[in-house]
Amino acid sequence: MTESRDPLDSLIETLKEPVRLRPDLTRRVMAAIADDPAMATEHKPVRWWRREWTIRVTPVRLLATAAGLAGLVVTGQFLFRPAVKPASSVAGSEASNRLTQFVLVAPEAAAVTLVGDFNDWNVGATPLVRSVGDGVWSVTVPLAPGRYRYAFVVNGTVWRGDPEAPGLEDDFGQPNSVVTIGGA
Amino acid sequence: MRQASGRVGFLATVGVAVFLLIAALLLMAATPAAGQEPRLAGRLPDPARGQVEALLSAARVAGLPTEPLIDRALEGAAKGAAPTLIVSAVTRLRDELTTVRTAFGVTAAPAELIAGASALRAGASADDLARLRELRSAEPLTVAASVLADLVAAGVPADTAVGAVLAIAPNAADGDYVAFRRNVQRDIALGASPAAALGVRLRGLGELASTPTAGDGTLGASGRKRQKP
Repeated sequence: MTESRDPLDSLIETLKEPVRLRPDLTRRVMAAIADDPAMATEHKPVRWWRREWTIRVTPVRLLATAAGLAGLVVTGQFLFRPAVKPASSVAGSEASNRLTQFVLVAPEAAAVTLVGDFNDWNVGATPLVRSVGDGVWSVTVPLAPGRYRYAFVVNGTVWRGDPEAPGLEDDFGQPNSVVTIGGA
Repeated sequence: MRQASGRVGFLATVGVAVFLLIAALLLMAATPAAGQEPRLAGRLPDPARGQVEALLSAARVAGLPTEPLIDRALEGAAKGAAPTLIVSAVTRLRDELTTVRTAFGVTAAPAELIAGASALRAGASADDLARLRELRSAEPLTVAASVLADLVAAGVPADTAVGAVLAIAPNAADGDYVAFRRNVQRDIALGASPAAALGVRLRGLGELASTPTAGDGTLGASGRKRQKP
């Protein structure tokens, strides 16, 4: 005698079997919830910031991004750098510069340099040239109209004022001279 | 599907834009620009550099030229001065520039302010500089103020030098001032007393020096114009 299987029992058995869920079900359900305005628990802007993005990068986009960054660096440095005084032009255009000769008679010197407001007081920036056969040192510098403090440095250590120019009170205990270029 | 792809593309664009914006902000913050003077790096020790940077920032806010302040700091560094002395010198110059700008007006050029500061240090008063501005309202003041300082440097008493510079201010060109200074310096080099050399050369200017005696003031014994009480 064969006992026929009751369809209801068969259904019950089927329902008793464990439900096999797709691995991405949770993510899909949560995404659907997140996309449903009615289910949203956060404001839309907040959700927008918390959403995961997928950015596809191609070599072209990467290069474009790198170029953009390089452009920003260059632009930023150009826009925000402090005004740096060019060595040849303290103020004004080169057209308004006047060639100014500085001379020091120092037969005993092995080296003479010119330092002043026009070269950031850089001791090595403007060396004087010694004339052949004598102790006359000179250099010619283009200066824009203005008033400049300066001095000579002999042999890298000895500060000397210009005997041919007005002296000036110095804040640091060393001799200074001054030259005025007219036109400003 | 196409809509989703477009959305991803939009998000990618927005992401790149945000990334670039953040990168730009970081670069701006890292760039030694708005408040940093690169020429001071390596020339001034840190505490003094910070103090000088603060003075420069304040000067920028006040509309003062920072270049002479930087030059003064670099001068001190080149001469091996003590950091406190450098800061003190920059502070003093800042104060002088402020005084000169008040006297010369807010439109004064940096070169005028620098020359005015030299004149101030030579012994001119703020009132003297304001008077110079008044007498040469349409002329640059760089040379006139510089000549004033140079005359004092050559040994001319300060009030005498101020009087002479003001006396020729209304009519003299910059070239007249330069020639005047050169002649006085030459006379001094040849042995004349500074005051005598200046007096002789001032009289030699004739009409240039005559105008200031008219009007609301008179020239004193030294040639300096004195205001009516």
